[in-house]
Amino acid sequence: MKKQNEKIFTILALIVLGILVYLAESNLDPYKLRILNLGAIYVTLGVSLNLIYGFTGQFSLGHAGFMAIGAYVTSLLVLPAYYKEMIFILEPLVWPFTVMHTPFIIALLLSGLFAAIAALLIGLPVLRLKGDYLGIATLGFAEIIRIIANNIPQITNGALGIKGIPEFTNLWWTAGVAIVTIYIIKGLIHSSYGRALMAIRENEIAAEVIGVNLTYHKVMSFTISAFFAGVAGGLFACLLTTIDPKAFMFVMTFNILIVVVLGGLGSITGTVLAAFLFNFSLEYLRPIEAGFNIGPIIIPAIPGLRMVSFSALLLIVILYKQNGLMGGIEFSWKGLARFIRKIFPNKKSSEGSSI
Amino acid sequence: MRKSLFVLTLAILIIAISSVSLAADVVKFGISEPMTGAMAVGGVLCMQGYELAQEQNPTVLGKTVELVLVDNKSDKVESASAVSRLIEKEGVVAVFVGYGSSCAIPGGEVANKAGIPMLSASATNPLVTQGKEYVFRACFIDPFQGEVMARYTFENLGIKKAALLVDIAQDYSVGLANFYKNTFEKLGGEIVSDMKYNTGDQDFSAQLSQIIASGAEALFFPGYFGDVALIAIQGRELGYTGKYLGGDTLHNPVLIELAGEAAEGLIASTFFAEDAPVIPESEKFVKLFKEKYNETPNAVSILTYDSYNLMLDAIERAGSFDPVAIKDALAATKDFPGAGGSITINENHDAVKPAILVKVVNGNFAYETTVNP
Repeated sequence: MKKQNEKIFTILALIVLGILVYLAESNLDPYKLRILNLGAIYVTLGVSLNLIYGFTGQFSLGHAGFMAIGAYVTSLLVLPAYYKEMIFILEPLVWPFTVMHTPFIIALLLSGLFAAIAALLIGLPVLRLKGDYLGIATLGFAEIIRIIANNIPQITNGALGIKGIPEFTNLWWTAGVAIVTIYIIKGLIHSSYGRALMAIRENEIAAEVIGVNLTYHKVMSFTISAFFAGVAGGLFACLLTTIDPKAFMFVMTFNILIVVVLGGLGSITGTVLAAFLFNFSLEYLRPIEAGFNIGPIIIPAIPGLRMVSFSALLLIVILYKQNGLMGGIEFSWKGLARFIRKIFPNKKSSEGSSI
Repeated sequence: MRKSLFVLTLAILIIAISSVSLAADVVKFGISEPMTGAMAVGGVLCMQGYELAQEQNPTVLGKTVELVLVDNKSDKVESASAVSRLIEKEGVVAVFVGYGSSCAIPGGEVANKAGIPMLSASATNPLVTQGKEYVFRACFIDPFQGEVMARYTFENLGIKKAALLVDIAQDYSVGLANFYKNTFEKLGGEIVSDMKYNTGDQDFSAQLSQIIASGAEALFFPGYFGDVALIAIQGRELGYTGKYLGGDTLHNPVLIELAGEAAEGLIASTFFAEDAPVIPESEKFVKLFKEKYNETPNAVSILTYDSYNLMLDAIERAGSFDPVAIKDALAATKDFPGAGGSITINENHDAVKPAILVKVVNGNFAYETTVNP
């Protein structure tokens, strides 16, 4: 298949996706839209975590912290003045934040920027650590962000949280951001930087020997990853319309980690599939918690069964398919063409030889 | 392989068929509670109240009420999805998010946007109902509780110097302490020490030493009972001799079990006390609750019991299942005879009802006094 054809296919696919988003926005009920939105936000989160964990091999658990930064920045920038006066009942909001107001897109970009700056500052010292130690240090960072949010009520409203955030987030935003994230991160990993990142993942010493600047590349990967986590945090705040520090506990990072591991470390396609699978199954497994009858056998309602079955699924993946759903394979038009030829060998054989 | 596939298909078919209910005269009440996660204890208590109430009053306007429970995992995102699911998929006429303000706020956003009335039994954060047309609550709010305790400290106990020990991670604790402080200082008292901790902390000696050194005669610590039990014990060990005061979360027998001697004399504000001067509804509730669960009733169950009955009453007054009519009827609630005291809904959609103070005497909670709004 020619390069040009691939481009045309990609553009066509984007147009089809655009039509689908339009149809979904105008036809689906808010409940289904909510699940789709969450799925798309998890795509952004998962792909960005995959960049640092899956492609660079640095075990980072700080995503909830970067999300929190993004969520608070966006909230403060888009919250109507009326709410800024009303909800800060512990201590009034301090000056620059009371008058600041920006359009949603600028708020999102600033969210990403602030998260990236935080990542740069934390990354420079912390990325010298390896393996588990890096995980612990970044987890500590996320907890520090949460505790700071609890302790500065004049900016974050402390444990009471912020509410009344305008519901800007819709599928156009979430799907759009997800596609931009995939596009940029895919571009990055196919560039010389990306090769360097993967070299670091495979063997740090070997990478250094062939002249890869370890600190520079790790910090770059970490910062870009944090940027998208911050943007996703902003989308998250405007979807939920309310945030508080408790929303960004370790569980949040863990959810993203499930998505990345389920989809396969180092597979963007896998992450996208797993993000939607994760959010769909969380909601569509609800009936098994409600109690049901199998013929004469009555199964009582057991809250938490949903999570148990989810854990079982994760165990199966880890035991039998360690590379995740996609096994490190990426979607490509070439791969799809090969797949189609395999299914319809006769029809496509003549065409196949010409490609 | 083929055989097992056949059996599996059959099983799925049977499930699908048996789960289709044919009852047409059913009206659904949606309940989103934390049945798992950090607040699971509260979710279970909530369900006791709803189920008891539904057993007592199973019909409204000639239709049978069905309770549809979805678990929100003590999580904000799940709570919003759960309420959305109840409204869109289950088609409920009313939503209940009884426990935990952090779940009730996102749930309320969804219900309010969809225009379905929501009633929260025990979410005390003022933000829950603030500016929401369709969201109500069946309990008093943090400011009222904080004020009551401050007035009681200053006027009834005659204490001029009080200290605070606040769980900075809990909106409940932060809210209560803030309003306690404001009222206490307005009355002319002095907050001599304002200390903080985080949920799950084990060692409070640093904060307590400072509180003792400040000469405080009363310590107000509105936190969760597990943490507070530790504080109470460590405070007495370090030589603190003043009063212990707290909010409704402390009205829990487990606190006395954990703190033992140290809890003696502790005073807490709450929604309901078993030995308080009762109205007939409370007596009936206590009797029914003991029959069904064989336990001493707790404040959370009585609030969810009342919230179910209040919703039923509102639907009957509205005369239809139209959400706008139900919302208007809820807003017009006046002197509803709840088991936990009469309920009037004010213009902020919060319940106005008396606060009850209980005191630990000889290892049991004893009724102390009632403070009217």
